[in-house]
Amino acid sequence: MKRVSLAAAALLASSAIVTACGGAKRPMQASPAVPGATLWERPTDLASRDTYFGPWGREYAPNPVDTYDLVERKHTGVNLGMTVVDSKGREWSVKQAYPGGMDDESPVEVAVSRLLSAVGYHQPPVYYLPSFTLKDDWGTHVEPGGRFRLKIEQLKDDGIWRWDENPFIGSKPYQGLLVMLMMFNDTDLKNSNNSLYERRVGGKVEKLYVVRDVGAALGDLNPISPRKGNPEAFEKTPFILGVNGRHVDLNADRWYTKLVRDRITVDDVQWAAALLAQLNDRQWRDAFRAGGFEPNAANRFIRTLREKITEGQNLGRRAAIR
Amino acid sequence: MVACCAIGGSVHGQERRGTAQNPAVADYLYEPDGYLVEPDAITRAAIYADRHFGKGDLTNGFYVDMGNQMVPGAGWIAVGPGYRRWYSKDQLFVDASAAISWHNYRAVQARVELPKLMRSRLLLGGQAKLQDFTQIAFYGEGRGATLSNESDYRLKSTDVVGYATLRPVEWIAVDGGVGLLAPSILAPSGTFRHQRPSAEQLFARNAVFTHAEPTFMYTEIAVSADRRDYPGHPTSGGLLRGAITGYADRDTGLFSFRRYEAEAQHFVPFDGARMVLALHGWVAASQTEPGQIVPFYLEPGIGGQNSLRSFPDFRFHDRNLALLNVEARIKVFTHMDGAVFVDAGNVAERFGDLNLDKRSYGVGVRFHTRRETFARVDAARGVEGWRLTFRLTEPLNPSRYSRRTADAPFVP
Repeated sequence: MKRVSLAAAALLASSAIVTACGGAKRPMQASPAVPGATLWERPTDLASRDTYFGPWGREYAPNPVDTYDLVERKHTGVNLGMTVVDSKGREWSVKQAYPGGMDDESPVEVAVSRLLSAVGYHQPPVYYLPSFTLKDDWGTHVEPGGRFRLKIEQLKDDGIWRWDENPFIGSKPYQGLLVMLMMFNDTDLKNSNNSLYERRVGGKVEKLYVVRDVGAALGDLNPISPRKGNPEAFEKTPFILGVNGRHVDLNADRWYTKLVRDRITVDDVQWAAALLAQLNDRQWRDAFRAGGFEPNAANRFIRTLREKITEGQNLGRRAAIR
Repeated sequence: MVACCAIGGSVHGQERRGTAQNPAVADYLYEPDGYLVEPDAITRAAIYADRHFGKGDLTNGFYVDMGNQMVPGAGWIAVGPGYRRWYSKDQLFVDASAAISWHNYRAVQARVELPKLMRSRLLLGGQAKLQDFTQIAFYGEGRGATLSNESDYRLKSTDVVGYATLRPVEWIAVDGGVGLLAPSILAPSGTFRHQRPSAEQLFARNAVFTHAEPTFMYTEIAVSADRRDYPGHPTSGGLLRGAITGYADRDTGLFSFRRYEAEAQHFVPFDGARMVLALHGWVAASQTEPGQIVPFYLEPGIGGQNSLRSFPDFRFHDRNLALLNVEARIKVFTHMDGAVFVDAGNVAERFGDLNLDKRSYGVGVRFHTRRETFARVDAARGVEGWRLTFRLTEPLNPSRYSRRTADAPFVP
């Protein structure tokens, strides 16, 4: 009995500490503008954007019949994976599913990346291969595939950026990005998933603010073990909980509510919904096909996302009626 | 020109079946359904286990050591900090951790390995470990050791080992190691003490208590052929293992001995691996020169969570042991098996006297991912009554398979 009481006390104490840490609210104010820094570029050619091969096109895609040399196993994050080099000497970071294939993040990451890049957010070259040929010390064999992210010279990794400290806080692209990630039920908005890339174009240096590793999405918001890439869980999880004055109460993972609570306006939601609403049927299908989704699952995700977009677009009307 | 990047396969594991073009990949992504529809909580627990424990040693950085270096009896919780890192494209691995348990068992270890020598055919490594296990159960030696003689001792030791593994093929390993072990047997201590007498009081005439503590140089050579599909949760394949361990008492030679082990496991799947029959057999024999003694803490022993499950941990010790486990697992839910098992074994002073007279019968449940059992509860009955076990590991994948330091105390 004594043991049980002590265990319960320890559990309560630790959850109190966790709650206190998680609930701490840092003031969020835009940091001074950085020359050449962009989070988003207006998609002037949105209707014609290729959501299958993505913003980097087929030139940067991995060859599914190539043989890849193992460089090293993946030692970060919670997913399995490895670094490999293809026959052209290009280096790829591969993210793979666990045996059993439960809630594989790779297809989700590629599909969400395609949607974000189509509406103007910077994304690295990511692709999905269902399997590939790997050469390691034991020989050549077929390996379960996953997300392939290319390391390229044009994009120099310059560290991470913080959600609560960047030049874009409060801007429409920043607010709209958060709305979209909430719409996708992204449950992993750690700062370490945000990459700052340096891109040299001619003599100019651009600093691209990128949300990377967006695979923990398209499921639900269970606080302990959220589902990912699960159509049923995604359908059951509401997007908008209500409107509180001028702010929209978005359904968010509890670790990241501070990013959106009392910060997202009706206008922000409409801005994001309007952008996504411009994607046509082919672009929706191609984005999910790029992630290797079967048509049935893809259709369910697309239908749910379109319902959420409509909900976002109608938000102004709802607010006005009230 | 790149043909096509994404070929089939939904994110639903079940919808993936048969969609991957390669059978090996399809099999990797496949998890047989259970006979009943799985409650959501079990699925989520399995997903959590995959994501938070599934990478094992692969993740760089700080981690929580959940008592990997502990032995049964350490208490219901053991925890401490750890740090590990892979360097030079997996050519070098370093790991250090410390843990303390409910009963104030403490262990600190540091390990360095070169795992990719000779194109991964050769691994060289070294490990140092300090441990202080404050209240290990001891019932006396021999198959007739009675429950009423339950006592405790404290084992403090320093252990340094250098080891190598040669793999001619991926599934065959030849392990060798040389180490120094300096144990001290002391009066029990620690927190939340059991109300048991000291082993030294109860067994004062045991040679361990009447002679000075030795320092051992130990050598081990083991050969194993491992064809299990997933060692942490096997559903097919098997394991064959043979080992010879020599302990040389560097002080007086009194406690020098040699141990021989032979072991086999096999897992037979039925109905698409929704039912699995697990078979495990193990014998260990000690050899000494006339006048030499095997100290009881290094003697083969059985009883407890991975051997005779209706008996307490460390229940029987003697120079030789035999153990047989038969376990039938039925996939009730996709990530939860129901199990019925029979354990039979015994210890004996002479190898020829070994039998399977001590038995446990029981039922259990195993929660697992495709490749790891992450929780299990076993209820076993034998002549000493019922015993309930809760562990976070697969019962037939004991830690001694991956252990590099000396097995002090001997844990089945």
